[in-house]
Amino acid sequence: MSASAHWLDERRADAAARFAAAGVPHRRIEDWKYTDLKPAIEGANDDAAVEWSIRTHPDSVEVFDLASADAPGWVREHLGTLPQNAMAAASLARARRGFAARVPKGVAAGTVDFEWSGSGSGRALIVLEESASLTLHENNRTDGFSNIGVEIVTGANARVTHLRVANRGANAVQVEEYAVAVAQGGAYRAHLFNGGAKLSRAEFQIALSGAGASAALSGVSVLADGAHADITTHITHAVANTESTQLFKKVAGGASRAIYQGRIAVAEGAVKSDSRQTAKALLMGSRAEADLKPELEIFTDDVKCAHGAAVGDLDLDSLFYLRARGIPEAEARNMLVRAFLGEAVDEIADEALRGHMWSLVEEALAGAMQP
Amino acid sequence: MLEIKNLHVTVDGKEILKGLSLAVEAGQVHAIMGPNGSGKSTLSYVLAGRAGYEVTEGSIVYRGKDLTAMAPEERAAAGIFLAMQYPVEIPGVTTMTFLKTALNAQRRARGEKEIDAVGVLKLVRAKAKTLNVPEEMLKRALNVGFSGGEKKRLEVLQMALFEPSLAILDETDSGLDIDALKLVAEGVNALRTPERAMLVITHYQRLLDYIVPDRVHVLAGGRIIAEGGKELAHELEAKGYAQIVKDAA
Repeated sequence: MSASAHWLDERRADAAARFAAAGVPHRRIEDWKYTDLKPAIEGANDDAAVEWSIRTHPDSVEVFDLASADAPGWVREHLGTLPQNAMAAASLARARRGFAARVPKGVAAGTVDFEWSGSGSGRALIVLEESASLTLHENNRTDGFSNIGVEIVTGANARVTHLRVANRGANAVQVEEYAVAVAQGGAYRAHLFNGGAKLSRAEFQIALSGAGASAALSGVSVLADGAHADITTHITHAVANTESTQLFKKVAGGASRAIYQGRIAVAEGAVKSDSRQTAKALLMGSRAEADLKPELEIFTDDVKCAHGAAVGDLDLDSLFYLRARGIPEAEARNMLVRAFLGEAVDEIADEALRGHMWSLVEEALAGAMQP
Repeated sequence: MLEIKNLHVTVDGKEILKGLSLAVEAGQVHAIMGPNGSGKSTLSYVLAGRAGYEVTEGSIVYRGKDLTAMAPEERAAAGIFLAMQYPVEIPGVTTMTFLKTALNAQRRARGEKEIDAVGVLKLVRAKAKTLNVPEEMLKRALNVGFSGGEKKRLEVLQMALFEPSLAILDETDSGLDIDALKLVAEGVNALRTPERAMLVITHYQRLLDYIVPDRVHVLAGGRIIAEGGKELAHELEAKGYAQIVKDAA
């Protein structure tokens, strides 16, 4: 990023101080109970920078390379301004590479398709002005240790659909922090895919800060032996009449580990908040593990909050039913696992994106079906 | 077609069937009647090959083969069909997809050519019409949200589609009102052929007014304690199980 800009130096220095005070998260910190980052990143190069590339973007989307000088006003206004945990502070303090994208007021922009590769720190800022809409198609192809902070700032009635794919690398330690601010009447929809990274941690800080704001998260983790995928969400219903839904499905084979921590906070006065969260895991591997932890912090009455979590094996009655109708056991198991994941995949409204998600699932499934 | 000799079956360490013997010839309909807990469902599950039903003694021979050595899917491909008392709801699998997958899996196992999607659809539609199964039901997830009658009709539809040699109907009448019962019975009767055998398992005689059996067996305490023609069902209805059990002792 433009090293000379005073405004940026200040924000980075603040972030560096915050990170220095907190240190690298470890499992004695409640939020990182299931993911011990400290030993996983020992020896990593703090100064490395991930590569980013935007494969396609519509002309209507303004893109700024954060390594360039003379950041436009909208970048100066928003970069590094959303709430940050320790790792987000680290990515802001250290990242020397990244990009910012802006969709002007009222523009239905189509898709920005981008990916991360290499290792090190990275940063992205996505700004949607009032009534704009955008689909983000993000691929994390980093290897080694990467720490990427993404901020998504939306104006009133803006809509974001975010497909995030983390699908690489038996040696990859991928840490990502997403901070999202959803304004009045706006909508943020995210669909996550987790494949076989050695360690993946995606943390979402979502603030529903205007009436009618909504967030809908769904995700599938299809994990082969040795994979560790942690999805942690913090959604704040800051004002009245806001809505959030979450549906996560996980299939864990071998000795993999699937984690979901979801915290919903309903602020004082945020009446008529409606939140639902469901996380389910199928353990296919005898040494697979799932930790699902939905949490509610409610500071007001007159809200609807539902949550559920379940860890189990395939339903034996269903398996017998299919086999008794002639479907061989392996095929029957496949059918049931696809049906289990399908509920989350079907949350993707766009047919092409849904098809893409299915192809990712298919590719990863054989590994996740290993005992 | 089916010959069961001195069958002992244990479930969770408890012996449920205690020396059951039964022979069913092609073209015949046999009814198995018995009080609750007599082992009726155990018999149906052990024939279909459900895990957890352990044969500790005796034999089941189907068309000259030892049935107990076959996996459930192999039994299905070999022509055994169990219409279940409680068809399982499977969210995320549409009924039509399930029917196509099952039909072609059976055909593949028998070395027959698979039928394409259009062909299966035609076949299913024709059967569905006679069983009053609406097209919309086939698009829904398998058995999810189906009424009791709809589930049983779908079981009979599958029976019509798979054309089994030995059909076992486990309490197919349970949960059905009289109209649904008649419809299901008509569907079953339409499948009676000289090549096909049926085992109709029921607690009540009511179903047997509509599916008239060639033979009736009374199952109690894990054994067949009485056998006879269709009139035995009426005798049971008049006397009650307790008396028949007492008479047999």
